[in-house]
Amino acid sequence: MLRNTDQPAASSQFEAIKARLMPDLHAIVARYPQSRSALLTLAHRFQEEEGFVSHEALEVIAQLLDLPLAIVESTVSFYTLFYRKPVGKYMLQVCRNLSCTLNGADAIMAHFRERLGVGHLETTDDGLFSYEEVECLAACDRAPCMQVNLDFAYDLTPEKIDEMLAGIRAGAYEQTGPLAQTLHPSRSWKLGYHEPRSPGAQRVQDPDSPGGLDKTGYAAAPRLQDPAVAERTHERLSKENAPAPPTNGSHH
Amino acid sequence: MSKVVKVLTQGIGEHNLRDIEVFRKQGGYAQYERALRELGAADVLDIVKKSGLRGRGGAGFPTGMKWSFLPNDGRPRYMVCNCDEAEPGTFKDHMLLLETPHQVLEGILLGAYGIGSHHAFIYIRGELKAGYEVMRAAVEQARAAGLIGKNLFGTGYDLEFTIHRGAGAYICGEETALLNSLEGKRGEPRLKPPFPAIAGLYAQPTVVNNVETLAYIPYILKNGPEWFAQVGPERSPGYKVVSISGHVRKPGNYEVPLGVTIRELLEEAGGLREGRTFMAVQPGGGSSACLFEEHLDLSYDFDTMANAGTMLGSAAMVFFDDTTDFVQAALSLVRFFAHESCGQCTPCREGGHWLEQMLERLVHAQGVAGDVDMLLAISGQMTGRNLCPLGDSVEPFLASVVKRFRDQFLARVKPTLVVVG
Repeated sequence: MLRNTDQPAASSQFEAIKARLMPDLHAIVARYPQSRSALLTLAHRFQEEEGFVSHEALEVIAQLLDLPLAIVESTVSFYTLFYRKPVGKYMLQVCRNLSCTLNGADAIMAHFRERLGVGHLETTDDGLFSYEEVECLAACDRAPCMQVNLDFAYDLTPEKIDEMLAGIRAGAYEQTGPLAQTLHPSRSWKLGYHEPRSPGAQRVQDPDSPGGLDKTGYAAAPRLQDPAVAERTHERLSKENAPAPPTNGSHH
Repeated sequence: MSKVVKVLTQGIGEHNLRDIEVFRKQGGYAQYERALRELGAADVLDIVKKSGLRGRGGAGFPTGMKWSFLPNDGRPRYMVCNCDEAEPGTFKDHMLLLETPHQVLEGILLGAYGIGSHHAFIYIRGELKAGYEVMRAAVEQARAAGLIGKNLFGTGYDLEFTIHRGAGAYICGEETALLNSLEGKRGEPRLKPPFPAIAGLYAQPTVVNNVETLAYIPYILKNGPEWFAQVGPERSPGYKVVSISGHVRKPGNYEVPLGVTIRELLEEAGGLREGRTFMAVQPGGGSSACLFEEHLDLSYDFDTMANAGTMLGSAAMVFFDDTTDFVQAALSLVRFFAHESCGQCTPCREGGHWLEQMLERLVHAQGVAGDVDMLLAISGQMTGRNLCPLGDSVEPFLASVVKRFRDQFLARVKPTLVVVG
C-alpha cells in the first residue's frame, strides 16, 4: 500500500514535523558532495520523528533531492531498518544467526513468540511491541543477543526476557537499563552502556527532543496512541502480512 | 603462554578512549600531525606498502597496492572507511568503533592523506546506533581540535569528514554496494571493472578500506613498516583482531600476531566447554569453509587458510563442539545469505531460497530423497555466477559440513517408498 489513506490524522501532524525538521534536512543535504547521498540520512531523520517512513516523508525527500518519488521509494524499501508502516513502540530484534543459534537462540525466539503472542514481523495488539528475527548483530561473544530499539541486550535467557518485558510494560525499562547487559566475567571487552550511556541514549530523556516523541528509537507515531487507530493498524498489518499463528516453538 | 598483544586493543576497558584528551595522552593523533607536517602523501603510501598490510575486512588485498591503483589524473579522490560489519561471527569493528573511535578516525584521516583525498567518509552499519553516536561525538571533538577542516596544522591541506549511517543491508559491506548506498541508491553491487580505484564514489577514484585496516596505519607510521612486516608469515604479516565465538568458554576479541595456530586461538578463548569434544571451526566468517580436527595446528594467516581451502576472511572464528546440529547451523547461515541477497543475480537470489527450503525440510526431518546431494549441486552452481561474492559465500560452509557430517544430514531424510519396475 502506498499511502495510509485510512489515517487522515496523519497529514496535519506531518506538516508540523516537516516544518520543524526542514532546517535540519537542508543541513544534512549540505554534508555531502552530491545531494542524493543524503537520501538514507533523510529517511533516518523522518523515521526518528514519525516512528516509520511515511509516504509524505518520501514525497518531501523526493522534492528535496529532486528525484522521482519512485526512485526514493525503491531505495528506502531496499533497507530493512526503514519501516514503511507504523511499528510498535519497542522494536524487539532477536538474532537468529549462527553464533546465537549455537547458544540457544531457538529457545529464545520461541519464548518471545509465546510471551508476546506474535510472530516474526508482527506487532502486539496494544502497539507496544514489534517482534522481528534478524541476522547477525555483531555481538556474537554475548550470544544469544538482541536489540531493543537498537540498544543491545546480551546473554539472553527466558528469565531475562520476562524481566525485560515486565520492565517495559511497567514503564520501568529505562531505569532497569543495564538489565540484560550484565558484565560477562569472561568478556575481553565491554560496552560502556552502564556508566555514561552512549551519547545517543542520554538524549532519550530530553523532554525537549523534537516532537516530544520517545527517542529511544522508532517509537510509534502519536496516532498509534489512539486505541481505535492502533486497532485498525493492527488489523491491516495482520491482513497484509498474513501472519502464521503464534506457535509451539518452531519458528516458521 | 598467551600470544595476545595489545596494539589496537591497548587501553580498552581501562581508559575512556572516547575522550580525545585521554586518547592523545596515549599518543593519539601524533602520527597524523607528523604526517601532515613532515611526510608527503607519497611517503605515507610508501610506508604502508612496505609494511605488507593486507585488508582486514575479508578479501585480504594488500592495502598499499590498492591505494597505488588510483590514477593520477587530477580528479577528486575519496577515502571511504567500511564499518558495515555484518559478516556472521564478526564483532571486531563494532568494538573498535565503540571503544576507540578516535583511533579509527586517525586511521581514516591518515588514509585520506595518504591517497591525497580531501573528503573522507565512514559508512556505519545502521544497527550500530551506539557506535554511530560515539563516532559523531568523536568527530565533533576532532573538528574542535582542528584535526578536520581547512588548512590543517597550517599546512594548507584540507580534509572534510562525513559519517554515513546505513540502514540494514549486509550486502553494503561489499565495496561497490557500499558506494551505491553512500550515493543514496539501493545497495546493489556494481559490475567490476571499473574498480572503485578508477570509478568509485561519484565515479571518482575511491579507496574503500576496513576499519581495522585503517586503524593499524598510525601504529605502522609510529613504529616503522618493519615493525609490522616482521611479525608473522612473510606474505601475511602483522597483527589481527580475531573475533571468537560459538562453543568456547571465553568468547571475545583477541588481538594476536598472524601465524598463531588455530589450537592456540582456541586455548586463548578458554577452550571448549567442560566435557565437550571439538567438531569443527569456521575460521573466517560466515562465508568461509569449515576446518576440522586435522587442521588445528595450521598457522592462522591469509595464505595458509587459502591453501587449506578456506579463508581468513574477516577473522571471525566460530567453534563447534559435539552438541552441534550441523543441519541447523547450515540452515542458519544459508537463510542469512538468502535473506541478504540483493536480488540482482538469479543464481544467488533463487538458489539461496531453494537451499533454505530444503534445509528447512531437513531440520524438521522431512527431507526428501536426493536433498543432500541437491544441496551440494545447487550451492555449487551458485558459485562464480554472480556480480559479487555473496552468492559464492553459500557453498563453502555448506559443502564442507555436508561432506564431513553427511550422516547428520541423511538422518533427516524421510524414508521414501520406492516403486520398482
